[in-house]
Amino acid sequence: MTKFTNEAIEINELPKFEEVQLKPLQSKYFRVIAVNICILNLIIIAIFGGISYFKEDVFSNQIRIIIGFLVAFIIPLSFLLARLSFNKKSYTFRTHDAIYRDGLISETTTIIPFNRVQHVALHQGFIARKLGLASIELFTAGGSSSDLEIPGLLLADAQIIKNLVSQKINPSTEITETSSPENIILAENENKD
Amino acid sequence: MKTKTNFSQPQKQSLLGVVVMFANTLQKSVRAFWPVLLIWLVKFESLNKVMVFGGIAVVIVVIAIVSYLQYHFFTFHIDEETNEFIIQKGVLNRTKIAIQLHKIQQVNINQSLIQRLVDVHKLEIDTAGSDKKEASINAISHELATILKERLINHSAIEKPISQEKATKELTSLLKISLISLIKIGFTSNYIKSFALLFVFFTTIMENLRQLPDNDVISKDNIVNYFDKFSLYFSIGLGIGIVIALVLIVNLVRTIIKYFDFTIQISKQSVLLSYGLLATKNTLLNPNKVQKITITQNFFQRKLNIITIGVHQASSDAEKVKEKDQIEVPGCTQLESDGILKLLFDKLPQKGALFLPNWRKLAMNLFFLLVLPIVISLLVKLNIDFFTWNEWFIYSTIFTFFSGILIWFSYKNYKLFVSNDFIIKQNGAWDIDNAIVEPFKIQAIATQQFFWQKTTNIGSVTLSTAGGTISFSTANYSEIKKLVNYWLYQVETSDKNWM
Repeated sequence: MTKFTNEAIEINELPKFEEVQLKPLQSKYFRVIAVNICILNLIIIAIFGGISYFKEDVFSNQIRIIIGFLVAFIIPLSFLLARLSFNKKSYTFRTHDAIYRDGLISETTTIIPFNRVQHVALHQGFIARKLGLASIELFTAGGSSSDLEIPGLLLADAQIIKNLVSQKINPSTEITETSSPENIILAENENKD
Repeated sequence: MKTKTNFSQPQKQSLLGVVVMFANTLQKSVRAFWPVLLIWLVKFESLNKVMVFGGIAVVIVVIAIVSYLQYHFFTFHIDEETNEFIIQKGVLNRTKIAIQLHKIQQVNINQSLIQRLVDVHKLEIDTAGSDKKEASINAISHELATILKERLINHSAIEKPISQEKATKELTSLLKISLISLIKIGFTSNYIKSFALLFVFFTTIMENLRQLPDNDVISKDNIVNYFDKFSLYFSIGLGIGIVIALVLIVNLVRTIIKYFDFTIQISKQSVLLSYGLLATKNTLLNPNKVQKITITQNFFQRKLNIITIGVHQASSDAEKVKEKDQIEVPGCTQLESDGILKLLFDKLPQKGALFLPNWRKLAMNLFFLLVLPIVISLLVKLNIDFFTWNEWFIYSTIFTFFSGILIWFSYKNYKLFVSNDFIIKQNGAWDIDNAIVEPFKIQAIATQQFFWQKTTNIGSVTLSTAGGTISFSTANYSEIKKLVNYWLYQVETSDKNWM
């Protein structure tokens, strides 16, 4: 490591990404995840139910009981895992980059410097829209593996972040700053409807 | 000359382009209707010959007319006012493609077999951004293509014509890869690729043969009988020998056809590559666009002093990365490779501080790639009596031996070098790759750690660039974090353009 210090920069004095306090996602966002899991579970149950209803001889009674136990076991487990991994998801925006951490078994921390972001997108799913949530996606030139999506942000926050990042990408377009509050108000109005 | 190089007026392609378009359309039609053609061919006797030949003649005439019309309506020019390159085409549906000159990243002049026969070239324009508009001119004389290419790339040349002249004059450095180098490369690389090709080729042929009715020639019995004449080991040896010889021949032929007459022209700002035996390819390398470079060499190649350089450029489209933006320079010597690297990076990459993986990487690889397969085979053996214990013992010894050697060398060669200006990752068991990336070209960094690695302080890092990723796994996590902080600092403070 000593070879780095031959420049004037002291590597140990550089800002440390691992010591930054990361913010958790909006707790409301777990409802979105929960609804998604419910839908998935319902589909799986519907498929099995449909098969065993219409084709009675496919499963023997024994297998049916096993499937029943599995379902009873897997559904709570899926919620538990989702909750745990939700608790792991956290993000922060520093002056020069965005940091996002997730993963239960394998914890991944992704860092994207703003001066490498190509464009920003704001997504709102159906349920997220009802809850006033949005997600921010940062696109880089590094291909899909290096794009970063941060879900579960308040819409207003997401708007601010989006404008902040787009300003960092294109410092010349300062017009967006004036238009941003209107956007937020508009979006909020939409929510009230 | 002056009037010819003026691109401000819409102009047509070379008249010979009709031939190229005719051939292309014919090829497309044949491809689309080959089942019908096949049926005709089979039932040739029973068909009305006048109808068949008449039909074919009509189709050919129609295609010829369409080709001529396509040629007639295809024009291209440079709009000086808006600084756009404009292509207009289409017979019934008129299409106008306008490309802003400053968005043009790369202009390639290529030649397919047909184009080579009529001595015209294809000019392809590669643009930045994700718009998938493909702009290409199918038939253009080489002279015109070169001038147009210069104009498109140096669009600022109008303002500073002197600098452009200078640039063309400085085009002195020329590098040719000799046939001997290509033969060397053909014998020493891409074994697996050629083997896979051969495998696919033979399985398709066998499949097709099997579907033929009354096939006496290649029945299983025949082959078995044939091989029964020899002893088992002799026939195994013979089989392996034939496969090796075939792989080598395929390798050699492929390498020579693809890279024949590989020429590198180095001017002050760019590198021009041209190669190919049947179809000539011309590619312009823009040093700014280069994101990642891999240098590959195996044991034989080190002895023969040849190096393969893979150049990964930033691609306009994430899905199409593979073909166009990855360029390989096969078989240059150490000296030539240094020259190319110096040009692309301004200086020779220095191997800086060395980082090694944790010994657990070796342990993990041994477990998953050596112990686990053997345990599985043991379980299989215990359940199904497929082979004898003796055979199992022989095979697993051979497997352990080779797998062990490969795992050991891939661990031994797994290194990361970090200096101020370069990140070099070395890996590989036989073909040793050195991937070189400049820190300011990093797009995103991801660090990753499994929960069981927390106590042992081990983790991985992945660097994404626009030309591919580099990852270094199972290393000291606190050192990785330090490096990440350093790279972030470099990326966020650099005012250099990554492209």
